[in-house]
Order: sequence, then structure tokens, then C-alpha cells
Amino acid sequence: MSFVNETNILIGLICGSIPFIMGLRSRHFMPAVISLFLCAASALVLGIPGSFIALFLMVSLIFSYTYINEQDPFLSRKSIEEVEFNETNTEFVVRQMAGVGRNLRWLGKALWRNKSGFVGFLGLMFFLLMVTVGTRMVEYEGETQIQRRQPGANSLFQPPSDEFPLGLDGKGRDILSHVVHGGQTPILTSFQAGLFSTGLAITLGALAALVGGYIDVSLTALANLVLTIPSFPLLLVLASIFALNDNTIIAAVLASLTWPPLMRSIRAQVLSLKEREYVEAAFSLDLGLFHIITREVFPNLVSYIAINFIFSIRVAMYALVGLILLGMLTPREPDWGTMLWAAQSQGAFFNSDAVMLGIAPVVAIALFQLSLILFSRSLEEVFNPRLRSDV
Amino acid sequence: MIPPLIELNRVYRTFEKDGEVLPVLQDINLQVHPAEILCLVGESGCGKTTTGKIIAGFLDPSQGQVLISGKPQSAYRRSERSKLRRSMQIVHQDPFASLNPAHTIEQILSFPLRRHHMVNGRNELRRKIWELLTLVDLTPPGDIVNKYPHQLSGGQRQRVSIARALTVNPQLIIADEAVSMVDVSIRIGILKMLHRLREEFNLAIVFITHDLALAKYFAWEGRLAVMYLGRIVEIGRTQDIIQNPAHPYTRALLSAVPEADPYVTKKKEPMKLRSDNIPSLNNIPSGCAFNPRCPFYMPGTCDTVVPALSNVSQFGQKVACEPLRLRGELRLYET
Ligand SMILES: Nc1ncnc2c1ncn2[C@@H]1O[C@H](COP(=O)(O)OP(=O)(O)OP(=O)(O)O)[C@@H](O)[C@H]1O
Ligand SMILES: [Mg+2]
Repeated sequence: MSFVNETNILIGLICGSIPFIMGLRSRHFMPAVISLFLCAASALVLGIPGSFIALFLMVSLIFSYTYINEQDPFLSRKSIEEVEFNETNTEFVVRQMAGVGRNLRWLGKALWRNKSGFVGFLGLMFFLLMVTVGTRMVEYEGETQIQRRQPGANSLFQPPSDEFPLGLDGKGRDILSHVVHGGQTPILTSFQAGLFSTGLAITLGALAALVGGYIDVSLTALANLVLTIPSFPLLLVLASIFALNDNTIIAAVLASLTWPPLMRSIRAQVLSLKEREYVEAAFSLDLGLFHIITREVFPNLVSYIAINFIFSIRVAMYALVGLILLGMLTPREPDWGTMLWAAQSQGAFFNSDAVMLGIAPVVAIALFQLSLILFSRSLEEVFNPRLRSDV
Repeated sequence: MIPPLIELNRVYRTFEKDGEVLPVLQDINLQVHPAEILCLVGESGCGKTTTGKIIAGFLDPSQGQVLISGKPQSAYRRSERSKLRRSMQIVHQDPFASLNPAHTIEQILSFPLRRHHMVNGRNELRRKIWELLTLVDLTPPGDIVNKYPHQLSGGQRQRVSIARALTVNPQLIIADEAVSMVDVSIRIGILKMLHRLREEFNLAIVFITHDLALAKYFAWEGRLAVMYLGRIVEIGRTQDIIQNPAHPYTRALLSAVPEADPYVTKKKEPMKLRSDNIPSLNNIPSGCAFNPRCPFYMPGTCDTVVPALSNVSQFGQKVACEPLRLRGELRLYET
């Protein structure tokens, strides 16, 4: 199997065997098997750093099962005279890791509970696998494959066949390889755009709400201004003036046009959270502004922010594909958008041999978007502390 | 003599609402002494919470002076000021809103302890948390620490709020309707606990309530201030006021309080007021704000003179009532 890097997998398996053996010894078989599997999988997907992260998380998971409350002086039900509050450093680390493990289990439980959200999660995992492992499994065909020309055919297009499950494009290249490799750029770029836009919205929204006064007025006015500009036409103008070819810059431009709605709602949320009694209590306990923002206000915004983050990824991907489809970005390969653009400009939709060139990226984009939409339903359950119960 | 922990001198407070200026507090004079119980009673909207917030330093008065241990706030250095601020803690009414849903109880208690270096190292931190939870009768603490607020009952949360206030060793706790939202069966337990904590830590407690029966129970050893539409109308030792209420408003409130003896309660007649409508803050009656409802209304006096608190009764309490001051007695108003 050429796509597997043997060293990585070996390290992954070695890492996985640690929680595996720990789990077996404490007779927690399911977590043990899951640990081994996840360590190997993350070694496959993310390489050596991935397997170390997985090692840490999985050992924490096992601790969350084995670290019984009785060991914790605090949780034992003895009276205060009998309890000894002298935990050693090792005990402390184990207790903290068990906490991490409990959070992991909570995460899994919350993901599992909402079935459609779980389907979305699986979909996203599939795309993650596709852009990491898939690209190593399927060889990318960048050059024109002139030798595939069928005798008598007037183009290189070919309908799906056993050898090429999605057929060949106008240059005789395997469409499947472009679907697999073409995901990286749009997914990464729209992810970046979502990150920038959400970050900008949080910063400006929180600033406006917390500082207030003159800053609040001007930031809100700015948001309203950007909101009233029709953003896609402006994007077209920007793209035609500046040759946008750096993905990060494209993401930044997309973000600069999509932040206002989220900024306004973050501002409103922070304004209302600011008045909460627990924030007032934090002020009177003199916990400091930094603590109040990061520990009192922010955690109650996380689910809201996460859902909007997903939403802005979706918006960014549509805008990105739209720009390419309209030929406003230099065509780059491999990219789902470029495939669509090629399909459209080569009349693939009216050619039964070539129709896959159009359908394949559309389906890929639609499935990715669908996964995001479904997954965002789980986020509320994952991040809302009020839904939290003991695992 | 030890100066009062906090002293409000001729404090006024206004709020702007829909372009109107509401005089929420007018001419409030109040002292809170160390380790005493002071109870603020009055109907909803009379400005009890606002007074509490001014005492705690959350709100500044629009006019008047707040003295902390005998000196105005500006006389203290910055670091001292935040220490003073911390020495006064509010326990809020709504146990569902006063604890952050995102943190476990252990975290909630550890934030102030760590921030102000009240403990050394994590073992001491946990011991302290254990002690605090035991103090507020949340035992065994092991059952509570890892829970989130939504997993606790209202009474338990209120106890956590109190424990949180105790983390910073306050001198004064302002309990703003602290038990009005918890189940009646749990109230007495929490009130008894507050009494115990007061003795143990020499705490002063400002107890805010709209329920005179509760005030009578809780502040029997302390003082009582009766508020009506932003003013204090009667203040004195609780026992004196309950046994010999002077102000017509206090009498009306007391006549509606049920007695332990059902026979007495049955015989008791609520005092008849001339009107049951509480005037709104944007339209406060001239003179004594209570005059349109007062059964002892004295035309020409009550609607023109704003009565000041003065020692009018022989019982040691201060009352703001003009007829009482002038004649020492009240006569029923006849139309
Ligand atoms: N921040 C504010 N802005 C505008 N008006 C306010 C504000 N805070 C309080 N008020 C007004 O001040 C008046 C008194 O409020 P306060 O909360 O002090 O009353 P209260 O005696 O505590 O009443 P309750 O028993 O309902 O808690 C109310 O009419 C309220 O509408
Ligand atoms: Mg109130």
C-alpha cells in the first residue's frame, strides 16, 4: 500500500499500544480497542505529531475510567478531619488527565446523541481523510493524457468506465483524481476565511460592547456600512482589480466582507452577558477584566460562535467557487471550482461523455456543505454547558 | 468608636428611562455597623436593590456621599479601594443567574481564591474549597465539587453563592432577596446558616426583602429600615418597630403579616388604606409620598411638607411623618 507511511503507522501503533495495554489491564476493553484504532488512524492522517496527541488523549481516556473517585481525597465521602489534602504531583497529573478524558467522553456522547449531527461529523471526517490520506492513495494527473485518445473520438472526454470510475476530462485526465485532490484548496481557503471572519467579528463585537461609547458607535456604523454593500459584486470588482492568487489573501478578502452580521450579534450577546449577575459577582470579587472576558463571558458564547464559524465557512466556499466559475480568479488546478469552470466553458453539461466533469465537483461541494450543516446541529449540544451531565 | 463600615449621607440616585428621569432614591441616610444585621423592607420597586448596589459600590450615587469606614472612596489608594470593594459582597436573588453555567462548583470557588492568593498551592486550595462547602452545609463536598450549577437545586446554588462570597473574607454581605426564590422549606435553613456565619466571621449583613415577616424573623436582633418610593420612612431596632410601629405605612405592612397563632391572625384586620395603587416613580405625590394612600392623611400638611426622619416616638426609632412630629399622634382622615 503505497499511501501508508510505514514508520508513521508503526509509531502510531506503538503509541496506541500504551493505552491499549492499560485498558486491557483495567478490563476496559472497548476504550482499549478504540484507543489503539484512533492512535493508528491519527498517525495515518496527521503523521507523528498526530500520534503523540492521540497518545495523550487516549491515555487520558483510559484514566477517566480507571481513576476512581475514591482515589481522589476530595471526592471520597469522608469527613474533613479524615481527608488528607496532600496529593502528589503524579496524582495531580493523573487527576487532570482523567478530567480531559471525561471531557472527551462527553464530547463523544454529545456528538453521538444528535444523529443527524453525527452523520455530518462522519461526512467531515470523510473529507478530512480524503484531503489527507486520499491524496496519497489516488495519484494526481496534471498533464494532458494524449495517449488515451480513442480512435475516431473528437475529444479526450470519456464517460465513466471500469478503469476510470468518473470518466476523463477534456485533457484525458482522471476526473476522480481531480475530485480527490481538488478539495484541499477550497476547503482550506474557506476554512481560513471562516477563521478570519469569525475572529474579526469576535474582536470587534466584544470591543464595541465592552468599551462602548464612541468606539461602539463607530464600529457599529462600520458594520452597518459593510452590511449594506452588496458583497458579491464588490468581490467581483476587487478580484478584477487585484490579481487575487494567494489563497490567504483571498480568504482575508472574503472575511473582510462577511464579518458584520456575526459582529453585530456578538456585540448584542456580550451586552446582555455583561449584565448577568455572575458577571457582576465576578466584578465584585475583583477577578479582573481579562478573567471576566475569557472565563465568564466567552464560554457562554462558544456554541454560538462555533455555529457561526461553520456558517461562514459555507458562505466563503460558495463565494470562492462562484469567483472561479465566473473566471475572476486565475484558474488553478486541482480545484473543484476550476473543474466546474472547465465543465461550464467546455460545454460539458451538454455532452453525455463529459457530463461527469460538471456533476462530480457539484456533488463534492454539496456533500461537504451538507456535512457542515448537519454537523453544526451537534455543536449546540457539544458546547452548551447546561446540557452537560455526568459521564 | 469604630466608624460604620459604610455610611450613606443624603444619597440621591436617578435613572433615565425613555427620556424621563426617575428619582429612584431620595435622601437616603443609612449606616451599616460592623457585624450588625440591617434589614431593608419595602414593596417592589421602592429602590431596595439600588440601595444595595450603592452600598456595594456597583452604582454611584447621583448626589450625596458614601463613606467607607468613615472616609470617602477617593481618600483611599487604588489597591486599598479594590480591597474595600471586595470586603462587600452581594448574594443575588436569582440562584439561576448568579452562577456561571460554564464552570463547575470547584472552579467557581477557586477563581477568587487563586486570584487573591488566599491559599498556597493546590492542596491548600482544595482544602479551602472543602471547608467553604462544609461551612455552607453542602456536605459531603465531594458530591458537589464537580457538578455544574444546573445540576444543583436552587437552595444548593444559593449556598454556593454564599460560599463564593465568603472566599474573599468579606466584612459585609448584602443578601438581596436571597431566599425569596428558593423553596419555603429550605429558607429557614439558609437563614439560620447566615446567622451562624455572621457570628463565626463577624459579618455584617444587609438583608433586603419585601416580606416583613421574613425581616421580622431574620433581623430580630438587628435593625430595620422601611422604604417607600425611594425614601426611608422608618428606621430603628427591629423589635421596637415590630412592637410599636409608628409610621402609617409600617403599620399597614405589619397589619398584613400573619401571626403564628391562627386565632390572632383571624382576629387581625388589615389596615384599610385609602388607595391600593402605588404611585409610579415618574409621578411621585408631593409632600409625603404616602399621603394619597394614608388613612391618617392631614390635608394641608401631608401633601405639602416632605417629612424628615426624626425621633418622634418614645420608642427610639426614627420616623418620617409630619403629623406625628407635630402632634405626636395620628388621627383618621375623614372625608
Ligand atoms: N439600571 C436601571 N435603569 C433604569 N431604571 C432602573 C435601573 N435600575 C433600577 N431601575 C428602576 O428603579 C426602580 C427601583 O428599582 P430597584 O431594583 O432598586 O427596586 P427594588 O426595591 O429592588 O424592587 P424589587 O423588589 O422588585 O427587586 C425601579 O422602578 C426600576 O425600574
Ligand atoms: Mg430588587
